[in-house]
Amino acid sequence: MSARNPGISLDLEWVSQVRVNTQAVLRRAQHYQALKVPKERWQAAWLLKAVTFIDLTTLSGDDTPSNVHRLCLKAIQPVRRDLLHKMNVQREEVTTAAVCVYPARVADAVAAIKAANACLPVASVATGFPAGQTPLETRVEEVVQAVADGATEIDIVINRNLALTGQWEALYQELCQFRSACADAHMKTILAVGDLDTFTTVYKASLVSMMAGSDFIKTSTGKEAVNATFPVAIVMARAIRDYYLSTGHRVGFKPAGGIRTAQESLLWLALIKEELGSDWLSPHLFRIGASSLLADIERQIYHHVTGHYASYQELPMA
Amino acid sequence: MATGNIKTVYDIFQSMESGPTATPTYPIAQAWLDHHSRSLGLFINGKFVLPADRQSCSLTDSSGSVICSTVCAEDEDISQCASSAAEGYQVWSDLTCRQRANVLLRLVSVIGQHGQCFSELCGLCGVSGSPSTIVRMLQYYSSWAQLRDTLISSWNPLGVVVVVVSDDCAFNSLLLKVIPALAMGNSVIVVPGRAKAPPCLLLAQLVMAAGFPAGALNVLTGSDSSLVAKLTQSSSISYVTYGGNKQDGAMLCEATAGMGVPLSVSVCAGSSCAFIIFDTADIDSAVDGVIEAAFGTKTNVHWVLCVQERVEESVVARLRLRMAGLKCITLSSDDRLLVDAAVQEAQHQGAMLVQSCTPPSSGAQYPPTVLCKSAPSSPFVVNPPPGPLLPLLTFRSSKEAVTLGNHTPHGQAASIWTEDLTLALETAKSLSVGAVWVNSYSVFDPCLPISGHKDSGTCTDGGQEGLYQFLRAPSFSSNHPRSPTTIDYSKFGSSGASAVVIPDDLGASVPKHYLQFVGGKTCKSVSGGCVAIQSPGGRGVLGYCPDGGRKDVRNAVEAASKVQPGWMKKSPSARAQSLNSLAKGLEAKRRDVATSISTQTGVSMDEAEKEVELSIIRLSDWAAYCDKIKGGSLPMPQSGFAFSVPEAVGVMGVLLPDSNPLYSLVTLLGAAVATGNAVIIVPSQKYPLPGLTFIQVLQACDLPAGLVSILTGSRDQLTAALANHSVIKAIWYWGSAEGCQYLQHTCTNPLKTLRLFSQENKEEADWTHPSILEEMWRNTVEWKSIWIPTA
Repeated sequence: MSARNPGISLDLEWVSQVRVNTQAVLRRAQHYQALKVPKERWQAAWLLKAVTFIDLTTLSGDDTPSNVHRLCLKAIQPVRRDLLHKMNVQREEVTTAAVCVYPARVADAVAAIKAANACLPVASVATGFPAGQTPLETRVEEVVQAVADGATEIDIVINRNLALTGQWEALYQELCQFRSACADAHMKTILAVGDLDTFTTVYKASLVSMMAGSDFIKTSTGKEAVNATFPVAIVMARAIRDYYLSTGHRVGFKPAGGIRTAQESLLWLALIKEELGSDWLSPHLFRIGASSLLADIERQIYHHVTGHYASYQELPMA
Repeated sequence: MATGNIKTVYDIFQSMESGPTATPTYPIAQAWLDHHSRSLGLFINGKFVLPADRQSCSLTDSSGSVICSTVCAEDEDISQCASSAAEGYQVWSDLTCRQRANVLLRLVSVIGQHGQCFSELCGLCGVSGSPSTIVRMLQYYSSWAQLRDTLISSWNPLGVVVVVVSDDCAFNSLLLKVIPALAMGNSVIVVPGRAKAPPCLLLAQLVMAAGFPAGALNVLTGSDSSLVAKLTQSSSISYVTYGGNKQDGAMLCEATAGMGVPLSVSVCAGSSCAFIIFDTADIDSAVDGVIEAAFGTKTNVHWVLCVQERVEESVVARLRLRMAGLKCITLSSDDRLLVDAAVQEAQHQGAMLVQSCTPPSSGAQYPPTVLCKSAPSSPFVVNPPPGPLLPLLTFRSSKEAVTLGNHTPHGQAASIWTEDLTLALETAKSLSVGAVWVNSYSVFDPCLPISGHKDSGTCTDGGQEGLYQFLRAPSFSSNHPRSPTTIDYSKFGSSGASAVVIPDDLGASVPKHYLQFVGGKTCKSVSGGCVAIQSPGGRGVLGYCPDGGRKDVRNAVEAASKVQPGWMKKSPSARAQSLNSLAKGLEAKRRDVATSISTQTGVSMDEAEKEVELSIIRLSDWAAYCDKIKGGSLPMPQSGFAFSVPEAVGVMGVLLPDSNPLYSLVTLLGAAVATGNAVIIVPSQKYPLPGLTFIQVLQACDLPAGLVSILTGSRDQLTAALANHSVIKAIWYWGSAEGCQYLQHTCTNPLKTLRLFSQENKEEADWTHPSILEEMWRNTVEWKSIWIPTA
């Protein structure tokens, strides 16, 4: 992994100067919506790249060791081996970026990956996911436990109450506590943008999260009404750029929730390339939180290689 | 196909480069061109006409290969076209409003079927145009066509309208003239630039397919501006309107001077527009905006980036990052030389460059470039070279931003970026431009009326306001003779009046020496000369009036421009009060003024008193109008706030007719002053006495000193003086045909709005007609539209 974001001390003046014009952002988003996606070999290559950005996720009440095991094995070999072979791509190079599970399933996931003799980060959501409405002590404890179970990435949710009421100091302090509980594990901070009212709040929450040392900022839990959208992505990417310009630290970006088709994933890659530059097109700095997206990408790759459209049964399930 | 090292999926997987941009193909447009054997003719009387033995000019695409050829129309074609348009006008204007609206709506569905061909043809010819803008425009103006007689009752179409466009403006600008002209019942002859000819001809074909009568829309192509001059010789042409760059517009004014056809100009290409970023802006959005605006495809204005000093660093840092990936822009080799020279000079003057890459040492490609540390005096700001160059200026305060934005001869549009609503509205109000886009840029819609301020135009396009240029008020028409004479433009008005010889019988009855009125004071002319006021029969001298000239005009303009901004800012009710006091003042002096009319013109005292009575009412009418002249909110399809604001044009010059010496004076004075202008009035050379007497009324009223000046003397001399003063933005002229021709020819730099009436033409204006009020005030304002996108 690349250098982490050490964070900086809270700069409230910077936060207070944030201004976002909603309409201008929406107009900018239309530009991405209308982009032409790459074709042919470029499309296949970009889709394979998209696979390497996926945090393959299962976050349901009915998760058990068996479906977590299936998920982990799919994450290790996300694209059918013969398809990769036809494109002359080494299969070791194409795994998803991580698997992402609830804290209680971290041990299962770590065991499954170890048993398969593979090496893949296990991410755990934490801190009262998805609402974050539990006492601070238990939220911190959750992080400590997940790290102890072997999670190397922690997707924490912020306390929306603090963001909505503008208590940036308190939010910063909470996040700093999570960050130190994470120890060596990378901290991905979920802003839950669907709950944050305005783009200006999103931008400010992004800044505070980065100041507190988040390695990634992530759009949403997937459980809110509004999840990852282009306008929100533009706002968060700008905050990342802003932070990078001021501090020199690169912070990653993870849209999650609602990204289901290969076509969409290509637009997301194009957006990142244009807004943040090619440096960010790396699993260290860009992730896509998704579960059903992988199946659609694999079908598109199948079509590129064979010229046929696959039925879902032809591709191994997760 | 490409040989050698083909990129494999794995290569691309590692580099994550973008794929090659597909070269667009235009199969449908090519088929249409092939169908016309690649040589396009003229479109006259509802069909393509390809006359034999004509010169042709070929149109090439960006790679230099020939797309097609167009015909250069000759005299025979021009007269054929003019008569076809005249016939087309008869049929088209005879239809009911509803029928015309229906035909316009039918065109929407025809465009729906053939829009692909149109957009491909635009792409092929390098013209920015899309079927969706045509559809929007048709939908907007078809409703005006339907309601013309209901909402703009008693106004009539002009007749045959000639729309001329240069190649460097968007197709949108052409449509914004053609479609409202048609909607109001005029027939149209389009004279497009070379590249616009093919899409224009296709449009004409589609228009016929929708069921327009033959001759309603004609297309003439040719090689130079003499085509329009020849066209205006035809008696059927009523009006010429031009959109495009300033130089061609000025040339057209000169070429058509004296043809007796009014000409208006919209400068919609090549002007400089300010892009103002305040420290309260969403800077990221503003930077994205300016990059798209300045370096996007098909920009036809020169943006000047003005940034508040406090955020300069952060803007430049973002520009650096965001521009990194931008592709080079293709220039012609001549343009490349100009750009190189400009950049070199800029660097020599200490400008700092932000470029997406270092420019290739030669060739047509040049990267988008921001020139930081520019100044308003930098040559590339004063005379921007063609190419992807964006000068960046800084300002200290919001007040200075307005000064910076206004300190240019251009007044087309501006984009301002701030999240502070009050600042945005104040700035929008203070900028002297036709369109202000808040937190957005280049938003065009047919419902937005835009008049280029200052040197950016003399007419309003778009909205309801844009319809009046294609309509004739029933009160009077400005027909002037169509026979240009040879005038030595440099000598016009320089002879002055003949010197007054001291009469031999210096006896008991010395004729009175009148004074003119400048800057709120009565005075002699600067030259000290006088001219005699002849009595009606020409038998005796009634008195002497000052022989005003260039210096007098200069003094009057000086005084006027000092008070006009303050007058414009006064509340409508304050202006109304002043006009009412003027009416009262006239009432008090009614006897003196009536006597002056009677003495001067020889009408009976009853007649004279009637004119005074009418004049008092007219002044009260104008007082009442002060708060009725207002803009409103506009029906934009996008969500947000759009509104139009009428603004005073500034200082106007008025040369009065011989008839109704007082009534015409107060009508024009009221129109100018009620809408916030200052005015310099020249009473008729023949009948100056009522105007000179009216000075007493002006002295007694509470209008700010200098707002109204009255100058007397030789009309030609004063005409030339007014024409050659750049501050004067509009001239109303009653006088000789020669004077009309002189003004059309001369008032091009900067452009002035002209209303010309030749007195040799015996068509008298009906000064009592109620529609005259609307006709007049619409000509004393220019419109500004303000757009604020919101949820």
